[in-house]
Amino acid sequence: MFDLILQSLYSGLLSGGSYALIALGLALVFGTMKVINLAHGEMVLLAAYMAYVMESRFAVSPLLAMPLALVAACLVAVAVYFLVSRIGKNRELNSLILTFGIGIILTNAILITWSADIHSTSSTGLQEPVTFGPFSSMLSELTFFGVSMVVVAALWWWLSRSWYGRAVRAVSSNRDAAKLMGINPHRTEVVSFIVAGILASVAGVALYCTGVIQPALGSSLTTKAFIITVLAGIGSVPGVLVGSVLIGIAESLTVTLFSSALQELTGMVLFLLVLFVLPNGLFGSTRRRG
Amino acid sequence: MKLQRLIMVLILLYGVVPFVLNGNNYVMSILVASLTIAGIALAWALLGNLGGMVSFGHAAFFGVGSYISALMTMKLGVPVPLAMLLGGIGAAVASIAVLPALRLSGPYFALAILAYAHIFKILATEFASITGGSGGLLGIPALPTLFGYNLGSKLGAYLIITTIVLVFAFIYSRIRNSYYGFALRAMHDSEDATRVVGVHSTLLKALMLFLSAFMTGIIGAFNAHYINFLEPDYAFQSGWTMLPVVAAIFGGYRTLTGPLVGAVVVYSVDQLILKSIIPSGHQIVLGALLGVMILFSPDGLMPLLGKKLGRRRAETVRTPQTETIC
Repeated sequence: MFDLILQSLYSGLLSGGSYALIALGLALVFGTMKVINLAHGEMVLLAAYMAYVMESRFAVSPLLAMPLALVAACLVAVAVYFLVSRIGKNRELNSLILTFGIGIILTNAILITWSADIHSTSSTGLQEPVTFGPFSSMLSELTFFGVSMVVVAALWWWLSRSWYGRAVRAVSSNRDAAKLMGINPHRTEVVSFIVAGILASVAGVALYCTGVIQPALGSSLTTKAFIITVLAGIGSVPGVLVGSVLIGIAESLTVTLFSSALQELTGMVLFLLVLFVLPNGLFGSTRRRG
Repeated sequence: MKLQRLIMVLILLYGVVPFVLNGNNYVMSILVASLTIAGIALAWALLGNLGGMVSFGHAAFFGVGSYISALMTMKLGVPVPLAMLLGGIGAAVASIAVLPALRLSGPYFALAILAYAHIFKILATEFASITGGSGGLLGIPALPTLFGYNLGSKLGAYLIITTIVLVFAFIYSRIRNSYYGFALRAMHDSEDATRVVGVHSTLLKALMLFLSAFMTGIIGAFNAHYINFLEPDYAFQSGWTMLPVVAAIFGGYRTLTGPLVGAVVVYSVDQLILKSIIPSGHQIVLGALLGVMILFSPDGLMPLLGKKLGRRRAETVRTPQTETIC
């Protein structure tokens, strides 16, 4: 039993890596534009289907689908930006409905193109078991955990050191003041969407290589990413990372101790708890949200 | 003038429509389904317009209402009309779980309620001993016979759902024109200012949420007794959220008639035309419609039509006036 719990802690940690990528993309866009992109999960899913296409059509490793996934996710991200920025009034609520609509379009486009079947990678190399003492996982899980950590570190560096990253943070904290400092807010918003697209494409390929994909998965990915950002409190990269790992571990413990059907429920219950007890999130500032 | 129009609509709904379409079972069933959507769309618009909250979780209330009503009749032998009412109350009680989300503003509430919709679906699947799990419930008692007339027939179901929707619309309009409606509308402009004047904004919003959930629950209960079958994937499917959202936005969620007309138009077009062109994934058009409406006419079609018609009427009024002067 103890071994099982250790093992589920380990696999929860590994799955937390790609959750962090999805949640960070959502949080980044929310930061600059104050828009929650409800089509974010579908963007990730689209990238995952690109990996599926590469593997099933061209019989190459899904890892090589990365450039294709990058292009697809970034194109969708820029399209979403373009549409959202055209909203005239009441942007906060109208953008929700608009991105909800875009999500429906993407889900159904995926359904029309690739049917409702469940897909997962057939590459045996990726599914090879890797064992360290009591911990074991698939090679793909370990690889993508490493990749996500590198990407998260790169993102952290970008946000804190590079000019554009700092511009993104400036626009997030005070749009008008950032404008006065010579930052073009529109360009910064596009950049934040593109970065979200890049994160989504890595997460998408990881999703396909480590698990199963199906057209209806998009909205539950968005929900999960949102739960993580609430858990973490907006505006903290390490917070999102810890939140993702927490959700990942909670989920895998639920699967081990109770039932796999309750996996999704765990995140929701954690979310409820945080809402009731710590409405600012585990790492959020004391400022009121919203 | 307004009363005349109301009477015309009533005659149309209770007299002309059943008389003309009664023979055609297919069209009747589409009409009943579209009115079901219309009822949810109205409840959604009530929350959106008066409460100022966008919900992506009405499927939860729909499913809870349908399950409670179905289980009440099947396990406890409660008569169907009473069970439907209990279904509505159950959905309102379920909405208590969403209350902490009321503390959150706009986008947070919308996403929190989306998460809740997932919870209820999982619960319905997991508590198989009560709900029958993913196998579903078969043989849910049909709508009763009243004065020797079987309301379970297509026409009977049509009359019931029409009545329910009309009653809801009446309640909605009464609230909108009451003191509470005034306070709620004031909250749109500035919640803080309204609070300072002494309006308990959170309580009012919670009441709107209860009412919206209650209405949706009753509609869900009606649907359960109408189709006599339930399963978690059906009762909590995202379509029960999506179609009403599209309908309300398309028709104009700030108006009373918008969601109703929108639901009938959107659902009929979806079922009669789109489904035959694109068998799976036909909802892509609805997603596109949602996007186009938000971008080009966020107030919906009804106000747009009203504006166009109003302009034309203004023109026609002006011309005879000049004639009489001459």
